[in-house]
Amino acid sequence: MASARARARQFLDPAVIARLGTLELKARTIVEGFLSGLHRSPFKGFSVEFAEYRQYIHGDDLATIDWKVYARSDRYYVKKFEEETNLDCHLLIDVSGSMAYGSRDFTKFEYSLVLAASIAFLMNRQRDAVGLMAFDERIVEMLPASARPGHLRALLLTLDRLRIGRATDVSKPLHQLADSLSKRGLVVLISDLLDDPDGVIRGLKHFQYRGTDVIVFHVLDPDELEFPFDRATRFEDLETSEEITAVPGLVREHYLNEIGRLVERYRRELGAAGIDYQLLKTTDPLEIALMSYLSTRERKP
Amino acid sequence: MPSFLSPLFLIGALAAAVPIVLHLLRREPEPRVRFAAVRLLRGAPVEYTDRRRLRELLLLALRVTALILLALAFARPFLASATAVRSAGATVVALDTSYSMSAPGVFARARELAKNAVNQVASGDLVGVVTFADAPAVASALGADRALSLSAIDAAAPGFGATRYRGALSAAVQALGGRRGTVVVVTDLQESGWDAGDRASVPDGVRIQVSDVGAVRSNLAVTGVRAAGDRVIVSVRNSGEVARETRAQLALDGRRAGEVPVSVGPHATSEVEFAGGAAASTATVTIDDRDGIPADDVRYALLDSASRPGVLIVTSSGDPGRDAFYLQQALATGSAGGRFYRAAGATAAQLGTQDTEPIAANAAVVLLSTRGLERRGREALATYVRGGGGLLMAIGPDVDGEVVADVLGPDAPLRIAAVADATPMERSLVPIDVRHPLFQSFGERAPTLALITFRRVARVDGAGCRAIARLTTGEAAILDCETGEGRAIVLASDLDNRWNDFPLRTTFVPFVHETLRYLSGTRLHDGEFQVADVPDSVPPRPGFATITENRGRSVEKRRIVVNVDPRESDLSRMSEQEFQGAVTRLKEIGASEARVEARQQEDRQHLWMYALGLMLAALAVESLVASRTA
Repeated sequence: MASARARARQFLDPAVIARLGTLELKARTIVEGFLSGLHRSPFKGFSVEFAEYRQYIHGDDLATIDWKVYARSDRYYVKKFEEETNLDCHLLIDVSGSMAYGSRDFTKFEYSLVLAASIAFLMNRQRDAVGLMAFDERIVEMLPASARPGHLRALLLTLDRLRIGRATDVSKPLHQLADSLSKRGLVVLISDLLDDPDGVIRGLKHFQYRGTDVIVFHVLDPDELEFPFDRATRFEDLETSEEITAVPGLVREHYLNEIGRLVERYRRELGAAGIDYQLLKTTDPLEIALMSYLSTRERKP
Repeated sequence: MPSFLSPLFLIGALAAAVPIVLHLLRREPEPRVRFAAVRLLRGAPVEYTDRRRLRELLLLALRVTALILLALAFARPFLASATAVRSAGATVVALDTSYSMSAPGVFARARELAKNAVNQVASGDLVGVVTFADAPAVASALGADRALSLSAIDAAAPGFGATRYRGALSAAVQALGGRRGTVVVVTDLQESGWDAGDRASVPDGVRIQVSDVGAVRSNLAVTGVRAAGDRVIVSVRNSGEVARETRAQLALDGRRAGEVPVSVGPHATSEVEFAGGAAASTATVTIDDRDGIPADDVRYALLDSASRPGVLIVTSSGDPGRDAFYLQQALATGSAGGRFYRAAGATAAQLGTQDTEPIAANAAVVLLSTRGLERRGREALATYVRGGGGLLMAIGPDVDGEVVADVLGPDAPLRIAAVADATPMERSLVPIDVRHPLFQSFGERAPTLALITFRRVARVDGAGCRAIARLTTGEAAILDCETGEGRAIVLASDLDNRWNDFPLRTTFVPFVHETLRYLSGTRLHDGEFQVADVPDSVPPRPGFATITENRGRSVEKRRIVVNVDPRESDLSRMSEQEFQGAVTRLKEIGASEARVEARQQEDRQHLWMYALGLMLAALAVESLVASRTA
């Protein structure tokens, strides 16, 4: 316990991170600090051999478009290179309404953005290709994975533009992304997972079937885990606006059982499927998430 | 229509605002938290907001209802019936149908004014029509249909009655049914429409509007026909401003008997004589007056003495000419209504015996002496009075107070005692109630009664009697006593110029006539009737008629004559201000009557008990709902 506290003191307090300026600065601060303590080179080799053409999709770097092919076929194609990156990593960020809750310095949404930015920053340092998909009940933003020098800035800008969306439907975007991936890689899901667990788990297993590793960061606010309310309160659902008036003393036990059962189910079933699951409170240091990422990354070739 | 006996308590209903304000102030007592995991609260023992809000509104409604019901109960609600006071606008047109309106062109003008009044009633207001002369009649009840009122006005026609405003206004106010409204009186504003000292009382919320049809400029009227020996004397009055000449025609027993010219000065009365009336029993006199009122151009008279009302004068000797000279002379003079009395004399000892005609055959009995009055005579007098007869007693030197103590019967004893003045003291007469029928005809001349000097009087009192005049020394001067269906007038002095100088005064004759008229009013012994007084079996129009009377064991038929009231022939008019001045506003009385009516209705309905019961029920439900909410 004492060693855990000592280790926690080595990390940056999220409250301090929250007061930093831009998302890039927050990510850089976290990653640089984190890396300086690891004493390990983040770089791995990569090749640039041409592999194939594929049709241009929104978000591809314009510099990769083969204009000669365009002149011949009147279609946009981009050139893909074998082992262009060490790893294709896709950051999946839940921007549904429920992510707007926050009782401390960070809302779940803000915490998720900083976490995604940090992971992207770290991946960029490792020359891994990183992509982004933001979703609520549908995909609201998508950036293909890339390791090009300017891609990180584009990704950070995309993260910065994200806004809270509508209702949650995690499984649908997961299936869409899983179907579109042609290459094995790593998927990082950042969400509060306040959705139908069956759908979420099925969606994540879909990646496993396709050979893609998955890391799930289950982000919850401390209030959602502790239910600290003490007087009769009118709870309004952030997504549906449904109102329930409850006396916390009467419903706390029921609620804590429900959230505990939900967390435990994710932990158990995702673990059984070989999916890394990490529960994060918005007060937890983000380095914990980075360590979890790296431990998973290390398993990749 | 819902009303309240104590409406001020409704202010208490404002207390219902307290729970409403508290509800608004504490509408969101729970903090609102926008939470992500609300779905995990489902299934917990929570209270859904919509259901809670509904319950709060139910509680609020129950509390507000309870407070309002409490205020309602204290305000004593009741459902006002149709007779209760209402505020809807209403107009009643009172149309004068007295015979003075039959002058040429007058009633057509009256109809026009009445229709105008109906047509000017605001839309949605109620309107009704009352016609009036001696007695009012509702021609069209209050309602929204103007056509009915206009039709009633078209159907109205002047009759033979005299104007009486008091009854007309009373009927019009009654027709309003307690509403505030307007009474439009369409009339010729005859001064005789108000009896002397007469006033009408109307509620303060009723406006009286006079619609004047204008004056009749000239009128000749036959005001009296009487027999004097073998002559028939006719009185013709000119109410106009200029002298008139006309011809009077006499018909005896239906046959034309003569015609004489008549010249009458302005505001004067002329008498003309016809010879040859001794053998006839009826006389009809007509005059020619095309510009005036037609109804008073003819007058009927019975010439046979048996048809005239009889007055039995009881004196010491039985000879009125010796013991009651002044009274006999007064009776021989015609009254204002053209009435003559047939006087007969008797001693007190003869009362109740076969020596004289039955007392019941007389319109009134004047008791001036008790000498020889035995128990049988006193019982006969008491029976006569209780049966509807009229008795005038003048307590002079020939009347023993102890003897007449039970003359009205044992149930109405009289207490009469002579005042033992060492030296005669002069006193004057002061009417207490000038509205009493005995004094009404004196009108403005009532103060002249004070000129009578009473040197000696008796102290009079009796059960069922009330003093209508006193002496300046405080003693009762005239008592009005009621017993059974009849009545008696007791004068505390004599009528023969012995203890007072009343017979020498000009007020004596009208006093005697009005007293006998008052006393004989309930009996059918009078041979001459005015249209307003005719028995039920006789149509109210001038002429001759035959009536049937029950006289003890026998039934007798008797001929009577019906004439118009000669006062209606007088064209003297009053101003609208004088008319309004005779109307008394009864603000307090009207309000008091309304309050009494309202209280009676509320007492019958007891709606406050239901309100209180509902309030308790509301509180019970509120407790139930509140306990579930907690």
